Amino acid sequence: MSDPDAAPQHTPPPAPAGPAAPAVGRRTHPLTGLLQGVLWAFAGVASLTGSLLGDGWGNVPTWVALLVAVVGGLALGEAAGFLQWYFTRYVIDTAEVRVERGILTKTSRRMPFERIQSVDIAEPLLARAFGLAELRIDMAGGDDAGTTLRFLTLEEARATRRLLLDRAHGREHDASVRHDVQGDLVAEASPAQVLLGTLVSLDFVIAVLGGVGLLVASLVAGQVVVFLGGVVAVGTWLIQIVGQRVIRQWGFTLHRTPDGLRIERGLLSRTSQTIPFARVQGVAVHEPFVWRRLGWSRLDVDVAGYAKAGGDDATATSSTLLPIADREVTARVLETLVPGAFSAEPDVQAPSRAWPVDPVAWRFRRVGSNEQGFTAREGWVERRTSVVPHHKVQSVEVRQGPLGRRLGLATVEIHTPDGPVDADGKNLDAETARSVALAELDLARTARRGA
Amino acid sequence: MSDDLFRPVGPPWQRVSPALTKALRILCVLPLLLLAVVLAVLGVLLPVPSVVSWVLLGAAAATVLGAAWTWSWADRSRRAVGYAEQEDDLIVSSGVMFRRLVAVPYGRMQFVDVSADPLERWLGIATVTLHTASTETAAEIPGLPAEEATRLRNRLTELGESRGSGV
Repeated sequence: MSDPDAAPQHTPPPAPAGPAAPAVGRRTHPLTGLLQGVLWAFAGVASLTGSLLGDGWGNVPTWVALLVAVVGGLALGEAAGFLQWYFTRYVIDTAEVRVERGILTKTSRRMPFERIQSVDIAEPLLARAFGLAELRIDMAGGDDAGTTLRFLTLEEARATRRLLLDRAHGREHDASVRHDVQGDLVAEASPAQVLLGTLVSLDFVIAVLGGVGLLVASLVAGQVVVFLGGVVAVGTWLIQIVGQRVIRQWGFTLHRTPDGLRIERGLLSRTSQTIPFARVQGVAVHEPFVWRRLGWSRLDVDVAGYAKAGGDDATATSSTLLPIADREVTARVLETLVPGAFSAEPDVQAPSRAWPVDPVAWRFRRVGSNEQGFTAREGWVERRTSVVPHHKVQSVEVRQGPLGRRLGLATVEIHTPDGPVDADGKNLDAETARSVALAELDLARTARRGA
Repeated sequence: MSDDLFRPVGPPWQRVSPALTKALRILCVLPLLLLAVVLAVLGVLLPVPSVVSWVLLGAAAATVLGAAWTWSWADRSRRAVGYAEQEDDLIVSSGVMFRRLVAVPYGRMQFVDVSADPLERWLGIATVTLHTASTETAAEIPGLPAEEATRLRNRLTELGESRGSGV
């Protein structure tokens, strides 16, 4: 958080060492420079090759240009990697983690323990080959709150995570406990199930139908070459969709640990991510059309600080808690995360006069709440149920546009931190929307006091 | 009926300064009038076929009408802004066509911003924005007199501290 007044109740005691203090602390693993350098070297080689071959470089023969590009790219990348590693140090003291970076411009990021939201370990493929891992520390708020320590040995990363989580939860840290607490296995998803789920998921089916349609069209038009090219393109694309999901969720396990739920997944790059129970802001259950009939669902969670993570990277922090699971497993995980909140069927429905603004979807909208949480359900093709525990509600909104005014409709929204959970009751009867919102305010107040 | 929907829950709405009307008019009406003048001048002076100059003059007239509508909208928009400090939540309402009511529990506020651009400063008003951990909250109270903005900020920060319940 940029503003120190932002959350005064969290302000840590003034730390003894200012930014001017000498940068003592530990460096990350020495191979970091090399590995980071390799990654940058690829970029360097590529861009140098492009510029040298593209514009030509006077009358220099091509092979010289290539050689210069490769050697230069490698040298630049490795040098940058080494310098970055050399000038990066981290300190873990009694109150915070501090990461000092920078060659000319020194930056020092401090993360007070009580602000740490989660600590994850990722093993990108290249690092994993050397037994290294990166440690990701997430804090609430701010666009780039938190930091990534790259790279530590896996053992060291695990030990550091345990230390940070112990401190973050205000527990005594016992360094003699060697291993990460593994916890009880709550759920796992086999690659076969993920594969099957992907094959019957709607976007995949649409992609297949679209691809086949295009191919048939090209065949009818007598464009055999286009057809053959199309087969290759569509085929690769589909394999890519399936491959990405299956590889990413390979060997998915969900454990319950004292700190929260721990997700481990990935075939090539492994990710180990912990979601603390108390940080879960809301839960969304997705049930695509075919999955629903098979009793499968996907579970996503809202965790403060995860929204901006995302990214296409296979190890990126993910808000998916269960990529695919049976009803019973989903219910068990939900019961762990939002006890009691999910049992109630939402009972407030959108009125039929909402059809002009909401032709099909109005039939499937429901909101409702019980003592524990607020539930909103919508969608026919893909049913989505969002659950927000009352004590996590951020704010409540009622809104109405000109059409809604004419039809006597209004939308109620329960705000949660950015993420997959979207607890909205769209186009409800106006007075009902208002009373739902006011009731939610009361329930949230009571829940906050109890918490 | 619709006003009923957005009636305050407890204490009556506190309204904002009429200076907001002025600010909105300066921001929205003035450029429209300038545009109308430019269009009219072009329509009269440019050596183009008469059809084109009539079109330009027509556009100028339409812009003037738009400016007139905006003039009255500015005041309605200002009147639509209201806030109420309840025991546990701050309620903010705004919007003429698209009405919106947001209730923010004091304990959920992460921070409160007071901002004033040069125009607002000249008119002696400021905008207070409330932030929670959710960006959807986006609760903004424009057109508060400067002292009231400061008072509200201090009050909200104080309440946030005493009732804060973390994220």
